[in-house]
Amino acid sequence: MRTTEGVMTPGQASGGSVPDAVHRVHWSVGLRRTVAFRNVSALYLLVVMVVVFGLWVPGTFLTSGTWRSLLSDQAVTCLVAVGLVVPTAAGVIDLAIGAEVGLGAILVARLLVGHVPIPVAIVLSVVAGAAVGVFSWLMITRARIPSFIATLAVSSLLAAATAWVSGSQQILNLPAGFGKLGTGQLFGVTYPVYILLAVAVFLWYVLERTPAGRRIYATGGNPQAAALAGVRTSRVLLFALVTSGAVAGLGGLLLTSQLSTGDPTVGPGYLLPVIAAVFLGSTQFRGGRFNIWGTVVAAYTLAVGVKGLQLAGLPIWIPDLFNGTALLAAVGLAAWRRSPAARRNGLTRFGRRRPVIQEPAEAGRGLRDPLQSVPDSKSI
Amino acid sequence: MADAAAPLLRIKGMSKTFPGLKALDGVSLEVYPGEVVAVLGHNGSGKSTLVKVLAGVHQADPGTVVEVRGAKGELVAGPAVRDGLHFIHQDLGLADILTTVENLGLGTWVPGRALAPVRSAAERRHAQHLVARFGGGVDVTVPVGKLTPAQRTIVAIARALDGWTRPDNVLVLDEPTAALHGDEVQVLFEAIRRVASSGAGVVFISHRLDEVLELADRVVVLRDGRVVAEQATSRLDHDTIVRLIAGREIAETVVTSVDELGDPVLTVAGISGAEISDFSLSLRAGEIVGVAGILGSGREQLAPMLFGAQHRSGGRVEVDGNELIPDDPRAAIEHGMAYVPADRRRSGVVTEMNVRENLTLPLMRPLRRRFGRLDRQAEQAQTRAWIQTVGLRPPDPEQPLKLLSGGNQQKVVLAKWLRIRPRVLLLDEPTQGVDVGAQAALHELILAARHDGTGVLLCSSDTKELVSLCDRVLVLKEGRTAGEVPRESLTEARLVRDELGLQGATGPIGTSGRE
Repeated sequence: MRTTEGVMTPGQASGGSVPDAVHRVHWSVGLRRTVAFRNVSALYLLVVMVVVFGLWVPGTFLTSGTWRSLLSDQAVTCLVAVGLVVPTAAGVIDLAIGAEVGLGAILVARLLVGHVPIPVAIVLSVVAGAAVGVFSWLMITRARIPSFIATLAVSSLLAAATAWVSGSQQILNLPAGFGKLGTGQLFGVTYPVYILLAVAVFLWYVLERTPAGRRIYATGGNPQAAALAGVRTSRVLLFALVTSGAVAGLGGLLLTSQLSTGDPTVGPGYLLPVIAAVFLGSTQFRGGRFNIWGTVVAAYTLAVGVKGLQLAGLPIWIPDLFNGTALLAAVGLAAWRRSPAARRNGLTRFGRRRPVIQEPAEAGRGLRDPLQSVPDSKSI
Repeated sequence: MADAAAPLLRIKGMSKTFPGLKALDGVSLEVYPGEVVAVLGHNGSGKSTLVKVLAGVHQADPGTVVEVRGAKGELVAGPAVRDGLHFIHQDLGLADILTTVENLGLGTWVPGRALAPVRSAAERRHAQHLVARFGGGVDVTVPVGKLTPAQRTIVAIARALDGWTRPDNVLVLDEPTAALHGDEVQVLFEAIRRVASSGAGVVFISHRLDEVLELADRVVVLRDGRVVAEQATSRLDHDTIVRLIAGREIAETVVTSVDELGDPVLTVAGISGAEISDFSLSLRAGEIVGVAGILGSGREQLAPMLFGAQHRSGGRVEVDGNELIPDDPRAAIEHGMAYVPADRRRSGVVTEMNVRENLTLPLMRPLRRRFGRLDRQAEQAQTRAWIQTVGLRPPDPEQPLKLLSGGNQQKVVLAKWLRIRPRVLLLDEPTQGVDVGAQAALHELILAARHDGTGVLLCSSDTKELVSLCDRVLVLKEGRTAGEVPRESLTEARLVRDELGLQGATGPIGTSGRE
């Protein structure tokens, strides 16, 4: 075992540290970078939408009731998105995330009507979400199925499980006390918002401030190099998938509490807005890295857009259109930022011969499966 | 080739500005038919940028003029210009999941045939034929990702020379020999000479000066994005070129052998695995042991196998008497083993992360504070100190690795391992594709580690490196230790002979034969 003293500090040998001036930029430059469109585009988008909808439907859009209900209604979406940041940062895509929400929603209802005490039902639903994460992890690391396919299949299995548990019927008559969790208020804001904040702060801390977070990003960046630097990438993936599963389970039970109904059809609808929020979030604040606060901002920005369009009385298919467009725009924007060649040549390059060389590290980031490029996954 | 005096490729006033960096600054260059022009320079001098601009990966600043066979054109869009240029890039530009056959097909575009059935048998024969010209031994039906670095280079070369409809093209090679061994280099040079003598112009980029002297007709030296010298090779020698590249004299690394070696730090007894059988070794503190061997001798597998990055079976590996479990790099690191892999891009660094994050990745425990927090300030301070120690350019802890040149990336890799104060340092081609200045710096760091009592195992295809650093060199052949050369009788010629299993010197073998 290596100990603290084991770290070499070459500064002593080479005498003194590098002058700080080399590394620090002037604060105004820093500020300009921070508020640059490319760093916080979602915030600008948010402002634009508030202005547009404020002028369009001022009577309904600009009321505090609208905003409070938006904050509360979208807490579950945002919560699930925040959980999904972890596996996405570690380089796996969890397409079962919507179905995990659905499972949590229906399972807690089934347990409650079966007279299981409320706290026990809550814990069991969260554990069930985590268990799904473990199963996905086994499929990805042990059966070596690419995460994309594995979680898609798991999603289908969960849809079957949800239908089986519920008999494809809504589960009604939940105990009165349970509804409090999703609808009870503190300072005019419902509990799920506080739960969201707590989870977001915790996951932000883990990702940005701890060695574990560093290992998660390293695994997502280059699994092979991470493994050779001593990161147990398999464990990192386990943690990531269990986290997203558990948070999705939590999101599902909060949803059931808000609706006071166990609805077997709600889960899959979360997949798209959640993934959209995570990817749009990655273009915010951290220069292309998947991150918590970017995701929170993105989730609410998307929700404001959808809400405004609904209030403006547009057809029911408009939110789907909006979310789909936003997802394409977000990922397109990320790729655009990452590759100078794409920025320069724009659309024309698709009609022409491609450059012989591709930047391998750049292509398909985030959609790569970490284990596919490791020669022997037993070694990680 | 109507007019022999007209240059095939003419570059005038080429500049390329990246945010905060002028990578190329008014570079002019002409390549005539039948000529091999070597472009030399430090990492970060602009060589790779030059190639990437020519390939259309980067766009040159306005005002740049590029003409191929007298035809002016924009590099990205103009097929007239593009058709005359053929490339072999530093990272080879091969699609790893595709086979050799498929990779050869990628570069050739047959209009209207995108959806036509692939004629597999004919293509396979064609691929086999092409590859065989450059030393063969490559299974053209396995994914390129499964080939060794040298085999991948051969595939890339075969692709670049495939299907020329006229001889007067320009072939640009960006460090093609980085992964090749002496005899393979000769095969490649033979091919290049043949291409040049048939009227093509060749631009050749390499860090190995001996190769340049052997192959090139003319040498162009870049420093900080400008051409600082242009000379016929016949008027240059090794030392002059080094001076031109560096802009100053570089002191040749002087090996001061440690008089008294310490106790054994690494003991290997009878391990086997892919291409290695029954290998044993005892490495002592402060000792540098080299491992030489041709492609397929097991040299490439040895270090990853010891570290646990590749599977091994049987035998024992002990660091300071502690046995290491196979297939567990984490355990190896915990016991004080460090491994610098040969393939830096794939296995050495996380290119999206910055210098600080890469540096501390193997050992973050000393930086942990309460609630598992990483001490950012301590981390920054350590990173800055290491940046200074290894002479990183630019000296910015927050620089993403993908924006660093190869030599500087390698400095980060070495720094991250020296930081854990390893007992055993496994090096796999530590200076591959690195310029002479960075190479000297890396060698200094390796020697400094040895003085601190680290045992170093240096696996290298660069015989010069082995001769200048090692206390003794093991020569591998067919997975077994075929011999051991002690420091007293260590010469490049001896190593090349032993690697190939030749008895006595018979004629010129490889570039490294010269002493």
